[in-house]
Amino acid sequence: MLNFTQRNLKVFFRQKSAVFFSLLGVILVIGLYVLFLGDVWIRNFPEIQGAKGLMGTWVIAGIVSITPVTTAMGAFEAMVQDRSRKLNRDFLASPVQRWKLVGGYVFSAYLVALLMSLVALALGELYILSCGGKVLASGALGKTLLILPLSTLASSTMVFFFVSFFQSPAAFSTASTVIGTLIGFLTGIYLPLGSLPEAVRWVVKLFPVSHAGALLRQVMLEAPTAECFAGAPEAAVRDFQESMGVLYRYGDFTAGPFTHVLVLLGVSILFFLPAWWNVSRKKS
Amino acid sequence: MEKIIEVHGLQKSFGKVQAVCGIEFCVERGKLFAFLGPNGAGKSTTIDMLCTLSRPDGGSALIDGYELGKEDGQIRKSIGVVFQDSMLDPLLTVRENLMTRARFYGMGRRELRAAVRTAAGTADVLEFLDRPYGKLSGGQRRRADIARALVHTPKILFLDEPTTGLDPRTKEGVWRTITELQRRTGMTVFLTTHYMEEAAAADHIVLLAGGKVAAMGTPYDLQERYSSDRLCVKPKKKDEFVEFLIERGVPFTEKAGVFTMKLRHTVDALPLLQQAGDRVESFEVLHGSMEDVFLNLTGGTFQEVDGDA
Repeated sequence: MLNFTQRNLKVFFRQKSAVFFSLLGVILVIGLYVLFLGDVWIRNFPEIQGAKGLMGTWVIAGIVSITPVTTAMGAFEAMVQDRSRKLNRDFLASPVQRWKLVGGYVFSAYLVALLMSLVALALGELYILSCGGKVLASGALGKTLLILPLSTLASSTMVFFFVSFFQSPAAFSTASTVIGTLIGFLTGIYLPLGSLPEAVRWVVKLFPVSHAGALLRQVMLEAPTAECFAGAPEAAVRDFQESMGVLYRYGDFTAGPFTHVLVLLGVSILFFLPAWWNVSRKKS
Repeated sequence: MEKIIEVHGLQKSFGKVQAVCGIEFCVERGKLFAFLGPNGAGKSTTIDMLCTLSRPDGGSALIDGYELGKEDGQIRKSIGVVFQDSMLDPLLTVRENLMTRARFYGMGRRELRAAVRTAAGTADVLEFLDRPYGKLSGGQRRRADIARALVHTPKILFLDEPTTGLDPRTKEGVWRTITELQRRTGMTVFLTTHYMEEAAAADHIVLLAGGKVAAMGTPYDLQERYSSDRLCVKPKKKDEFVEFLIERGVPFTEKAGVFTMKLRHTVDALPLLQQAGDRVESFEVLHGSMEDVFLNLTGGTFQEVDGDA
């Protein structure tokens, strides 16, 4: 399986354009924010000191949460490609177990997604630094680095499930463009939760990847929030957290970090099994 | 002679189209075996089944003593396959490709290197071992495909139309690689082709038409049975020669002053020529070719059947 993983990674990283385009999503959102969205949001909070750093961190947390989705999509393209170019016939006529092949695709996509979200985090921190914000403290950074493998797991298994239905690369690439566009809205990173209609808010709060977003925001925004809202009433902080999608409230229940971790783990298992079955049952 | 492949009543249909309808044949160990047939005859479908890639609808096959469908893992270890299309990763070098594929066979690190080197040497790819597969020419790619199939020194090498789409010179080179390899290692080579000259070089041929075995035997056998020798004569005086032939009741065809007569046996030409004596200006006796066999046996069955890929 490791051998096949290695092969998939090599195939992915040799394709410079694939690597670039999978990161393009990240760069695009940062660019979008720098050029347009940032000002709009910051004008909403004129009374807050250091709003720029806070909002920057907010955007970066969002981006880092969706990066595994878009990049895993790119990495899984190898699986669809192999199937359509019938390269898999060569593997299937070899004495290698099917699960090792499927495992190789999944694991390599996972590694690509994880690496890319680390890259996204690094780029994001650079951006925050450049606009006068503070980089993550070591404690928050450590937590973030613990969250990433988990959020990547959930995202890449969801993508795995999604990919398991595709046979043609053309259909897949169209679908992945659509997903890439939608994902930012579905996780509430282009527009804060508070600015969305109630029904859409529910969609965002129920969408699994949003939980990675919330978890990352909770960790990454902790220090900037404390700084900006120093001396502010508790209710104001809470208001901010809810409208920015740091805390999700479902009726009377407010989800904490533990809930998000559970959701991410559950989602991973829930999507992984049918996807595995879906891919394994197909013969060439 | 020991049989390495035995096929009994193998069948496969794709929807309503019966691609392979109950074929029977055996392949002897260490021989060059050719599967000849027009496009859509069911060659690739049969190869796919024997390589464990698609499940037969009926019938059985024994490959190197393992039963198809039950001991596929063992079969996969014993066979190497060169597919009709390229199967290696274009962005990786030939060496990387070979290493990746070799690891499928559970070799140790040292064994792996040696295996890759040997396979690369045999298939003559050493020259471009470290170049990306995608940048190679068609012939080089084909040789790399062969190296990949040889990487675990299989007992049977399947080649599905190995020379299709190559220019004549490259074709010849690839073909030489295959035959030399077979001669030197004594590996059983099973290939499909629609080139007569390749089939004629095989030890044994199965001619497939419309999913059925139309004929089998050595190339010589087939030529004896399904093609006839011809005597071509250019007479000094046409009218006189026509009269002579009609007198003896010999059927003939004439084209541009050359008379062609079918012969039951090659030596039948002798008495005829003797009797014709100096009516003959020049003559030649043509031995029946594989081409005749092919056309005779597949005549009228050149329909394309989907699912050959």
